[in-house]
Amino acid sequence: MQRTLVIAALASALLGLAGCETAPESDAVLEQARHAVAQAEADPNVSKFAPAELERARKLLVNAEGAAREKGARNETAAHYAYLTTQMARIAGQRALEQVALRRIKAGETERQKILLSAHENEPDQALAQTRAVRLEGMQASRTSRGIVLTLDDVLFDTGTARLKSGAQRSLDQIAAFLDENPERRVQIEGFTDSEGTNDYNIELSQSRADAVAMAIIQRGIDAQRVRALGYGEEFPVASNANAGSRQLNRRVEVILSNGDQVIPGRVIVGAT
Amino acid sequence: MLTLGGIRNAMWCVIAFGIVACAATPVPVEKLAVAGTSIERAEQAQAAQFAQVELDSARNKYAVARAAADKNDAKVAARMADQADIDAQLAESTARARQQEQLATEMDASLRDLRTETLRRDNSAAGAQPQ
Repeated sequence: MQRTLVIAALASALLGLAGCETAPESDAVLEQARHAVAQAEADPNVSKFAPAELERARKLLVNAEGAAREKGARNETAAHYAYLTTQMARIAGQRALEQVALRRIKAGETERQKILLSAHENEPDQALAQTRAVRLEGMQASRTSRGIVLTLDDVLFDTGTARLKSGAQRSLDQIAAFLDENPERRVQIEGFTDSEGTNDYNIELSQSRADAVAMAIIQRGIDAQRVRALGYGEEFPVASNANAGSRQLNRRVEVILSNGDQVIPGRVIVGAT
Repeated sequence: MLTLGGIRNAMWCVIAFGIVACAATPVPVEKLAVAGTSIERAEQAQAAQFAQVELDSARNKYAVARAAADKNDAKVAARMADQADIDAQLAESTARARQQEQLATEMDASLRDLRTETLRRDNSAAGAQPQ
């Protein structure tokens, strides 16, 4: 009778196992779980980007090890926790991979912006090439640290007035078109005269001429916020004022197109009279 | 020595054990719901396309969990629901990681194109400029 009871108990234990779950190979599954956690721990990206998941995997492994230390049918609990451990460690790994990829995308986006920006920086060269053709019509272009400087000489103005001659229209059209295509750039117009006449008169005339050019650009659809006009009178001569030819060179309007979107600094008059 | 009474006793033991082992706790409705939600999340993350194996595993275990719950086998239902849940989570994170990696690879390729294009344009611009 006792023997039959033992047999019955064994049979029931086996049936219970078979009835509830497939018999686990606890050792192998547990070993796999330990390996998965160790692998996740060895990956610096996992501790960096998925610390919470890694911690959960560690806790599940503790549960699995605890269940495994106890004997008998509880082994299936150990196998269950071991399985959860392995999967959680893999989740940690995948989260880390996702974050690494996201950072790669972000860095790529920054790099893309940089390339596009530097491509824009090359545009002054193209603008310069375009403006060379305009030179004969009274405009000279040069690149300076302040931006691209276009010089309109005074043959584009009626003598002693700020009225633009019709010959200036083409140059202004081109400047406006350039600004239209480069919406981030600003434009600063600086007027200059020769040394003939009074200082006040010269400042007023140079300011009026700069204003006239600014107005012509604004009338071509450029936002007034991007346009600034300054009159410097006879300051900053480019020639000596000793003869008619050099005075002619000094009577001019300079149009400065900014590099990028920075405000163009004004000129500092040293030892102004 | 097997007797008829012994066999009868053994039968009772089996039944009693089965009841104690499998039906002692209530059916884990909450765990099933959690697993179901995780599977939905994985599906939304396009796990069917990017983590087919993991998603299938989650779905199969979820089905086993539900069947066990229908038979009032709370223990199996709970475990299978937990495993279905974690499989679904793995399916989701795998799918997301693979998609982001794919995007990163595409980004690298577009950067390569952009660099080539910029270089080509710079060279042609330099060549076209009169001195």
